[in-house]
Amino acid sequence: MNYETIVIGAGLAGMLAALVRAERGERVMMLAKGHGSTHWAAGCLDLLADADDPLGAINQLVQARPAHPYALAGVAALEQALARVRGVAEAAGYPLVGNAGRNLLMPTALGALRPTAFVPATMVNGEARQLGDGRPILIAGLHELRDFFPPLIAANLRAQGYAAEGVYLELPPVERSHDFNPVVMARLFERPAFRAEIGRQLATLVRKGGYARVGLPAVLGLYNAVEVVRELQALTGALIFEIPTLPTSVPGMRLFHAFEQALTKAGARIQIGGWVLRGEGSGSHLHAVFSEAASREQRHMARRWVLATGGIMGGGLRAEHTGVISETALGLPVRTPSGRSDWFQARFLDEAGHPVFRAGIAVDAQLRPLDAADQIVYTNVAVVGSALADCDPIREGCLEGIALATGFAAGQL
Amino acid sequence: MRTIETDVLVIGGGATGTGCARDLAMRGMRTILVEKGDLTHGTTGRYHGLLHSGGRYVTKDPQSATECARENVVLRKIMPHCLEDTSGFFVTTPWDDPAYGDVFVKNCRLTGVPVQEISVQAMLRREPVLNPRISRVFEVMDGSADSFLATRSTALSAEEYGAQIWTYHHVVDLVREGDRVTGAVVEDLRNGERIGILCACVLNAAGAWAGKIASMAGVTVTVLPGKGTMVAMNHRMLNTVVNRCKLPDDGDIIVPIHTVAVIGTTDVHVPDPDVYGIEPDEIQFMLAEGDKLIPGFSQYRALRAWAGVRPLYKDRDVANDRDIPRTFKLLDHAERDGVEGMLSIVGGKWTTYRLMAEESVDALAKRLGNTRPCRTAEEPLPLPPTEHQTTFRPPVRTTGPGASVAAEVEALQHAPLYWLGKHLAEVEREQSFADLICECEMASRSRVLAAIDAGAKNLDDIRRDVRMGMGPCQGGWCIYRTTALLFERRGQDGLSQANSNDALLHFLQARWKGLVPVLWGDQLRQARLDELIYVGVLGADRLRPIAEQGGGLVTDNPAVATEYVKA
Ligand SMILES: Cc1cc2nc3c(=O)[nH]c(=O)nc-3n(C[C@H](O)[C@H](O)[C@H](O)COP(=O)(O)OP(=O)(O)OC[C@H]3O[C@@H](n4cnc5c(N)ncnc54)[C@H](O)[C@@H]3O)c2cc1C
Repeated sequence: MNYETIVIGAGLAGMLAALVRAERGERVMMLAKGHGSTHWAAGCLDLLADADDPLGAINQLVQARPAHPYALAGVAALEQALARVRGVAEAAGYPLVGNAGRNLLMPTALGALRPTAFVPATMVNGEARQLGDGRPILIAGLHELRDFFPPLIAANLRAQGYAAEGVYLELPPVERSHDFNPVVMARLFERPAFRAEIGRQLATLVRKGGYARVGLPAVLGLYNAVEVVRELQALTGALIFEIPTLPTSVPGMRLFHAFEQALTKAGARIQIGGWVLRGEGSGSHLHAVFSEAASREQRHMARRWVLATGGIMGGGLRAEHTGVISETALGLPVRTPSGRSDWFQARFLDEAGHPVFRAGIAVDAQLRPLDAADQIVYTNVAVVGSALADCDPIREGCLEGIALATGFAAGQL
Repeated sequence: MRTIETDVLVIGGGATGTGCARDLAMRGMRTILVEKGDLTHGTTGRYHGLLHSGGRYVTKDPQSATECARENVVLRKIMPHCLEDTSGFFVTTPWDDPAYGDVFVKNCRLTGVPVQEISVQAMLRREPVLNPRISRVFEVMDGSADSFLATRSTALSAEEYGAQIWTYHHVVDLVREGDRVTGAVVEDLRNGERIGILCACVLNAAGAWAGKIASMAGVTVTVLPGKGTMVAMNHRMLNTVVNRCKLPDDGDIIVPIHTVAVIGTTDVHVPDPDVYGIEPDEIQFMLAEGDKLIPGFSQYRALRAWAGVRPLYKDRDVANDRDIPRTFKLLDHAERDGVEGMLSIVGGKWTTYRLMAEESVDALAKRLGNTRPCRTAEEPLPLPPTEHQTTFRPPVRTTGPGASVAAEVEALQHAPLYWLGKHLAEVEREQSFADLICECEMASRSRVLAAIDAGAKNLDDIRRDVRMGMGPCQGGWCIYRTTALLFERRGQDGLSQANSNDALLHFLQARWKGLVPVLWGDQLRQARLDELIYVGVLGADRLRPIAEQGGGLVTDNPAVATEYVKA
């Protein structure tokens, strides 16, 4: 099969790039070895953490740091990307709410408040400005779910001035399950009887405690979370909100599913489980890549390529103990911060972030990969998302923002 | 200042000091042990994990070899739950002098170290990952040992006999009246309170810090801190300890312990036992040495690195540091320096800790007029509450030099020897899969709670008890869970949410120190994922303003901080 575009990587950046190109009528395949960081992150859209007005701050950032992925993609691409991703989520019945001009502060599973720009509708009732209305809040979980601890969350919220209390609910009767991880819990919430029982318990607590809001782990169903929230609100009379748990991220999986639907509708092909090992090109043109799935090598051909394999976490970059960092799919040159002795800060949570995670691929204004002499390596490849150099998406709090902005920009080229 | 009186004050909660406290208490002497950190905070908690057969010392240090061989058998009888009967090989690789094999066997015989040569084929059948170019193999009674558990169990026994064990109590001064040491001043690190302890005798078992303690009484004891680094790999690629058959050197032993295999060690002189770093070339050197024993060793994932400091005692008449013997030495400061009321026990190994305690306490007993005999070699240690009273018994060894001892230990019907499948078997029996707090190390909720109830002063103490956070995920999940459980369990006893936050931040940082030396490849990828979890999902970086030391926890106290210096 000959594709017009093959996107390598199935994170937000790759999915959006694939979608935009497919919607332009191209034959597109998205090829990935596994899921992207959607499955690990909070399932919100972080644009820039330490700013009240992320969009305003990004406008300044692109002036000050011309090599930053936001600067390469451009602010307009970010804004269009946001509109498109919200459309995708909306179409899947899972709207994202928020505003690029104002960060929301969302409670975490530690009870800290984390800034982010857009959250699923299932979370928005937990936003700190709403929580601060003085009315009592209940944080409820289940002992069986070890990725969410209501007493600590509530205590930390109280320490920040919110009237929260934590409680454990009784697990409604279910057949024996070996492990109640977030995904298993989300499947249980798909069952009407299960959530009716949770709703009954919550209603009693709300009646007794006069809670205006109830925070629950973000496991309220995989496919119809908005419905589940609505139903629990009706049963309890309180506003319900989800708080992200430890991974696996159910909200992230929902976003992934929303994109899956959109991609299928747009006629794109998705192949997960193929590990891209190398490319084949002549001069500055990439013809084909080779992937390995079930130890069988497969050759894929396309006219245009989008590399969205992520950074060190995604596996798109790999660091060796010798101090060499390589790009794993095509062997592109990587910009690496000096030697291994300078890779890390002494403190794990140092605000500056660890220099090693700014390693990545340098690109030109059309996101084409550059070598050390700033020459274009492949003219028909665009690099997007966390694989790009000069940015630490986790510490800067722009993981989803740069993925979407660059993914969208690659779709437009 | 509050003052307390006792017969003997033991300084140091490592293997040696804790062993002394048990022996003293069993003989009926009133005993207080003070340790500035948790038990095993010093070298005992940072060693290689090898129950020595003695083989390593047969040529250079025959007395040590004989001591190790004897104590090896004793420890199997008194602390089976802390030991795994891995057996051990001394192997001649192409890089080792082939003539040493015969010397080795001869010296084993002379020192009483049981040994038996086996064929290379037999070795490869048992451990197929070993280098097929190995030319000779000698089997000895090496084992692996959990020093945290052993020291905990020893302390528990000491307490059952009436000793007081004060962890997180730092000796800040010794009291000397004329020619006599009469006690010490200690600081309770949880709240800064100073307490005076009056005693008939101080027993200085402070390991690499023994010189610092002695100097508080105006006595010179030269302990040369020799740092050794170890690297744990994420895979237990073999089940037998392997040693290179040559004179002891760097990076020549691999010990399978719990779920990992640990290679070590190095020996680098450091000026201070509290200030040292782990150099990248030490790690690279050991991984390269590992490849000689196990081809491809360096391609496994390194999980973490740590270093401990050898307490090498330098006698006044030794001119050259290389000639320092590895045996232990009991110093009677009355005879040696004319200062009454203090003994120091220095040097030695983990394997010989009990013997060191016996000799020290014999000397003390004589001085205090106590004539009761030592019984620490006969009476088994109790099991701490974090351990299951397990009914599963590992298969008993039927071949090799350890076989007769294995049968003897089994016949005693104490707790069985530790074996790798133990925690999994317990989890299967209790159907507690769904209640694992640390999946990598199979630490269930009930064991974590038991560690909290046992008085953990920070998350690192819990780690020592149940190995939480020591697996491949680097604590990504279990650090959060354990923090929350600590808060839920102690919230009623004055531990605030701010104290739990501080415990979390402290542990994340402590863990980071051990990770940095081995961060590349998959381990770096995991570290990045953990950064996403703690920063991008949990917002732990935003907790500082609502975090505070206290609630009976000890986190950032300089007295127990080890400063890693960058190379
Ligand atoms: C790298 C390395 C690997 C080793 N591997 C092995 C092995 O595999 N097998 C083996 O048998 N032996 C091994 N050893 C030797 C063995 O670990 C040590 O001999 C043994 O642990 C020493 O125990 P200890 O109780 O004497 O000293 P430590 O465990 O160091 O105890 C001394 C204690 O005193 C405390 N202390 C110090 N100052 C104060 C103060 N002012 N107030 C209160 N407390 C204080 C310290 O915190 C410390 O906990 C190894 C040693 C090293 C360095």
